[in-house]
Amino acid sequence: MNESSSTFSKLATYAVALTLTLFVGFPLFWMVISSLKPSAELFVSPPRILPHEITFEWYRNLLGNSGSISLFRNSLVVGVSTTLICMTAGTLAAYSVTRFVYPGKRVFLVAALLSYMFPAVVLFISVYMIINSFGLVDTHLGLIICHCILTFPFALWMLKSFFEGIPCEIDEAAWVDGASFLRTFFTIIVPLALPGIFSVAVFVFVLSWNEFLFASVMITSGTLKTIPVGTAEFITSFDVRWGEIMAIGTLATVPVVILFLCVQRYFLSGVLSGAVKG
Amino acid sequence: MTRRSVATAMPAPAPPWHHLRLGTSWQLLIDKQARTGLLFIAPSVLFLFVFVFYPVFDVLRLSMSAISFVTDRERFVGIANFVEILRDPKLATVAWNTLIWTVFSLIGQFGLGLAAALCINQNVPGMKLIRTILLLPYVVPVIALALFWRWMLDGSFGIISVALQSLGALGADQSPLALPNGAMASVILANIWRGFPFVMISYWAALQGIPTEQYEAARVDGASTWQEFRFVTLPYLSAITMVMLVLRLVWTVTFFDIVWLITRGGPGGATEHWPIWIYEETMGFFRFGTGAALAVFLAGILIVCSTAYLLLLRRESDP
Repeated sequence: MNESSSTFSKLATYAVALTLTLFVGFPLFWMVISSLKPSAELFVSPPRILPHEITFEWYRNLLGNSGSISLFRNSLVVGVSTTLICMTAGTLAAYSVTRFVYPGKRVFLVAALLSYMFPAVVLFISVYMIINSFGLVDTHLGLIICHCILTFPFALWMLKSFFEGIPCEIDEAAWVDGASFLRTFFTIIVPLALPGIFSVAVFVFVLSWNEFLFASVMITSGTLKTIPVGTAEFITSFDVRWGEIMAIGTLATVPVVILFLCVQRYFLSGVLSGAVKG
Repeated sequence: MTRRSVATAMPAPAPPWHHLRLGTSWQLLIDKQARTGLLFIAPSVLFLFVFVFYPVFDVLRLSMSAISFVTDRERFVGIANFVEILRDPKLATVAWNTLIWTVFSLIGQFGLGLAAALCINQNVPGMKLIRTILLLPYVVPVIALALFWRWMLDGSFGIISVALQSLGALGADQSPLALPNGAMASVILANIWRGFPFVMISYWAALQGIPTEQYEAARVDGASTWQEFRFVTLPYLSAITMVMLVLRLVWTVTFFDIVWLITRGGPGGATEHWPIWIYEETMGFFRFGTGAALAVFLAGILIVCSTAYLLLLRRESDP
C-alpha cells in the first residue's frame, strides 16, 4: 500500500472513531454537566454547552434526602449479595465442569447456556409466582434470587473460560500431595484465577445494579426499592427537576463505570475467549 | 483442557484420569472425583431447576390458565388466552411496532458495531482511549440512559429538541417524544446507543483472530483496501455475525427497559412493543394468564425463527 492511501485510511479511521466517540460521549458529558448547572443555566433556550458557574446544589438535595440514600443502600445490598451468592455457586460449578468427569456434565452446560439466552420478560411471570409461593415477594432476598437467575449462566460460562486457562496438572500435583479437593480449590485455584473471578464478580454486580424489570416486579415497598425503580418513580412525565434528575443519573452511573474501568482488561480477555452478555 | 509440562515435575507421572484403562485405585479416585464434581455443581443444578426450568414449564401452564386476582384460584382454560390475544385489536399495532423496533435497532447496532470494530482494530495512537469510551454504554444503567435521553429531548430546554426546532423539523416547544414516529425513532436510537458496543467487541474479537498473513498475501496480489475488506475481512466475520444475529434478535425483541423508561409505550401506544404488552397485562391489569400466553407466544415465534434461520444456514453451508 502506498503512503498517501495509508494516510487517507488513517484519517478515515479517526473521522469515524471520533464521530462514534462523540455519539457515545456527548450524552454522558451532557448528563454530568447538566447535573452541575444552576437552574438559571439549565432552563435557557438555546442551551449553553459549558456553564458560567457550577453548583453542587442538586447533589446536596439528593444526599440530604433519606429516600434517595436508601435507594443506593438497597442497590448495594442486593448487588453485593447477588454477587456473593452467584460467585460462590458459579466458581464451584465452573471448577467442577473444568476438572471433574461425571455423567450429565454436558447436559448441565447446555442447559446453563440455554438459560443464558432466556429473556427475563418471558420468565418473570412464573418466577414471580414461585417467589410468591416462597413468601419472598417484596423482600430483598426475592430480588437477589431473581438477579442470580439472570447472572448465574453468564458467570458460569465466563468463569469456565478462566478456569480452562489454568492447567489441570496444578490440581493433580496438589491432589497427589494429599490436598483435598476443596482445599485445592480454595488455596490453589481460586487465588490463581482471582483476576478473572474478580472481573466476573464486577459484571455480576453491574448487571444487578442496573437491572430494572425484576426489581420493579418484585419490590413494592418504597423503602426496599433499588436505584433504577426508585428513580423511575421519582420522576413523572411532567417533572422538571432536571438538575436533580441528572445528578441521580450521574450517581447511578459513576460507580459502575469506575468498576468497569478497573476490570476492563480482564473483561476484554474474556471477550476474546468468547463469553459475553449484553 | 490445556495440558502443560507441570506434570513432569512429579516423581511418577500420573496417568491421565479420564482414560479408560485404569487400575482399581484410579477407578476409586475417579468415583470420588465424580462424586466431588457432582457435589460442587449440586447447588447450581438445584437452583437452575427451581428457578429456571420449573418457571419455563410453569409459564406454559399459566398461559393456559385464568387466574382470579381476588381468590388467587387458577382455572384451566385451554387456548382461550391465545384466542384472546389473536382477537385483540392491539395485536397488529404491537406486532408492527415490535418489528420496526427490532429491525432498525439491529441495523443500527450491527452497522455502527462493525464500523467501530474496524476502527478500534487499527493500531493508531489514541485508539485504546477511544475503545474504552466506546465500551461505556455497555455498563451505563438503562435508567441513566433513559433520564438523559428524556432531558436531551425535552420540548423546551432539551438540546436535541431545540436544535431540531431551530432547523424547522419540529414545532416550537415540541419534543420528538410527543410524535408517534419521533418517539419510535428516539427509543430505537437509544437502543442503538446502548447495544452497538456489544456488537463492536464481538466483531473486534473476530478481527483479532484474522491471521495477518492473509492481508500480506492479498497485498502481494495487489488487492485494494476495499478488496481486502471484501475478500479477507468479511468472510472471517460471517460466522460470528450468524451467532450474534440470533443472540441480538432474541435480546432486542425482548428488551423491555428502554422503551418503558423513555416512553412507557406512548404516545398513544405508538412505541408499545411486545414486552410492554406483556408487562401491562401482568403488572397493570393483573391478568397473569394472558401475560403468560403473550410470553409463550413471543418465545414460540423466537424459537421458530432462530431454529429456521440456523437450519437454513446449515443447509447453505453444506449443499
